Amino acid sequence: MTLHALNEAARAAGLYRGQSHADACAILPALLSAPAEPERDLAMLKRLALWAERFSPSVAIDARAPGYEGLLIDTTGGDHLFGGEAALLAEIRARLARAGIPARLAIADTPAAAWALARFTAAEDVIAPSGRTRDAIAGLPVEGLRLEPEALVLLKRFGLRQIGDLYGLPRAGLARRFRGPAGLRVVERLDQALGVLGETLTPERPPPAYRIWSPFAEPLTDMAGVDFHLPRLMRPLCVQLAQAGQGARRLSLIGFRVDGRTTAIEAALSAPSAAAEHLVRLLREKGLEHLDLGFGIDAMMLAVGVAEPLDARQPALAPAKTRNEVGRISIPPPMGEGDRPKGGGEGLAATLAHGPEAPSVASRQRPQRGSNSAMGAPAFGPESEDAEALAALIDRLQAKLGEGVVLRPLAVESWIPERSETWTPAGPEAAPAAFDLGRDRPVLLLERPEPVGISAAELPDGAPRQFTWRRVQRRVVKAEGPERLSPEWWRPNTASPKPVRTRDYYRLEDEEGRRYWLFREGLYAREDLETEPGTGKELERHPTWWMHGVFP
Amino acid sequence: MDPSLPLIAPGLTPDFHAPDFYPEVCEPLEEVAAARPADASTALAFALSRLARNEVGDDPRPWVMATTPLWLRERGRPFARGLAGMGAAPERLIWIRAAKEAEALWALEEALKSGAVAGGVVTAEQPAFVMTRRLDFAARAGGARGVVLRAGPALDLSAARMRWRIASAPSAKGEFDEAAPGPARIAVELVRRRAGPPGSWILEQDDEAGGFRVVAGLAGHGLADAGAERSGRPAATTSAAAA
Repeated sequence: MTLHALNEAARAAGLYRGQSHADACAILPALLSAPAEPERDLAMLKRLALWAERFSPSVAIDARAPGYEGLLIDTTGGDHLFGGEAALLAEIRARLARAGIPARLAIADTPAAAWALARFTAAEDVIAPSGRTRDAIAGLPVEGLRLEPEALVLLKRFGLRQIGDLYGLPRAGLARRFRGPAGLRVVERLDQALGVLGETLTPERPPPAYRIWSPFAEPLTDMAGVDFHLPRLMRPLCVQLAQAGQGARRLSLIGFRVDGRTTAIEAALSAPSAAAEHLVRLLREKGLEHLDLGFGIDAMMLAVGVAEPLDARQPALAPAKTRNEVGRISIPPPMGEGDRPKGGGEGLAATLAHGPEAPSVASRQRPQRGSNSAMGAPAFGPESEDAEALAALIDRLQAKLGEGVVLRPLAVESWIPERSETWTPAGPEAAPAAFDLGRDRPVLLLERPEPVGISAAELPDGAPRQFTWRRVQRRVVKAEGPERLSPEWWRPNTASPKPVRTRDYYRLEDEEGRRYWLFREGLYAREDLETEPGTGKELERHPTWWMHGVFP
Repeated sequence: MDPSLPLIAPGLTPDFHAPDFYPEVCEPLEEVAAARPADASTALAFALSRLARNEVGDDPRPWVMATTPLWLRERGRPFARGLAGMGAAPERLIWIRAAKEAEALWALEEALKSGAVAGGVVTAEQPAFVMTRRLDFAARAGGARGVVLRAGPALDLSAARMRWRIASAPSAKGEFDEAAPGPARIAVELVRRRAGPPGSWILEQDDEAGGFRVVAGLAGHGLADAGAERSGRPAATTSAAAA
């Protein structure tokens, strides 16, 4: 057993990482220890990485060197938002301290240099001035180069203890001193630290396409605050999206908690949208109560994970006609006053050129179509307007009910009934292949065929005269069939090793006038002979009867 | 009166409020209940044909079907190829596979209210009266048609403007094969109706137009005779004449 991690007091007593537990106990009999849990450490680090996205969209976890785990934050071009690098460091330190997380921080031109400075300098906050990296890390020990232990031992044996000692050495000779690729790695790491060689960060989460965030002077501890700030944050985001001609397909609302964690809700859209009202409503329906605010959140961020170009639409030239005028009765728009974002939601919509508008009923019933085309739902005519209303509807249904719930059928080229269609998530763009008229198909198909007991049949391979389904015996009065569906031999059968069998479908009518769709699986023929594994003896599989649906 | 009513055969002026006139026009919210749980599939087919026979059939907007897990387990999922036979366009179907009945009802209300769909069907066991009232308002607000589909007898209160009870009936004689089931027939009973008297009819599946029509006694294209069985007088023309 060795020591995995130590706190400040243990380090002060002279213990170190990698020391054997017995030795440590001998030095410090009062040592308190617990089994190491690297997975939980990593999970915590990941959580912290998400939280650190408040400082930059690109945050990477550095867990390659055990014992030296940390976060790498790419602050390029972002430090001025916090008032400069020093202010940024101070802010990070203050936030971490409030969450009770001790940290060592450094800012440098390259990730490798920042890594070394944060770990091997005495000062807690280090800023290497831009362009002076070479001098800043010259005095650090060679451990700061993230090398393998063997390489370190060899470097020390050569008497090279500081990174600066390597500067003057001939590079080819340096690389040759080590066996295998280790020598090259020494040179590579040095180049990375000095910025001669690039190093890419792999962010924990791909940076969002668009994001907007706002810090709060006082942490928000209740939903009312989040609810209030959501539209205020959404509006500038939507302006930003609309200016770029983009719409959100995936949107998340992230709250940064004071205890160094994040809490988020995410909504997916069926069509890109940059309409603030719709997006706010979507997140609200997704349930702001799912945000776990803990002790409060001190910043809120809206991130557009996936953005797609909005279709450019021309505002309607003539007032669009309202269809179904007969059946439509004028009542006030269904949206309550409370649903609207407070304060100037209309004014915002006027600045947007595109995007669906959620309360489409209200807009349809307005008599002057031309005058309100700037209100957020400009369209060519009823069709595109319908498409927008439909997209908004599907978004809301999906947000509330979950994904994979709102479906539409797609025809598949197959005779097997359960294979002849698939259900895909619905979208506003509807143009699937037409279905052939299924005259002899039931409107409802049982999810899986149910076994049927046949008690009487005229011929073994004819239609049954009497059958039992769901424990009720039914006498057949009329029968039609069979409709033979041969197995699709060109399709590999991965579900079961047994050969797929022919199906004979019958339409049967019982005394009460109910019509059933039964099939017999298998033939009284060689198809049903199979050999017993091992012995090679031929086994007979009897045809079986199944109920697949009920006709109207 | 709605202009989409069937054409009138010359010489006959139907009395739209006569007890045996089959109301072809779908109201904003209707309830279709199966007389027995085994007739659920029949009830669905009838509901679809009522939606499809009206303006929903010509409307390019999609239509919605919201189901509950209980319905899926007991009665199966919608089968697009079979729906096509009922005159309901499967390519315009949006199926909402809700996890709870409350969610299914909510989804249909939202869909009807949005104005983006032409109509919708929801399967429900015991919808509360308030919920049906909400659906009625939503359907009128969105210019859509809604049907509450129930697999059992409906004895409770409902805001539906028409309440139907559907049962299977022995099919007509097969055209080519006596032993085969002919065009499907169903016995529909209008149990309760807000504007007009109740009634009962025998409907027959219409292979040409999809959906159901009132059974015609004479060669399938003449006057209806099913209502006459009940009230003793010949009734109005069928929609088959219009189709």
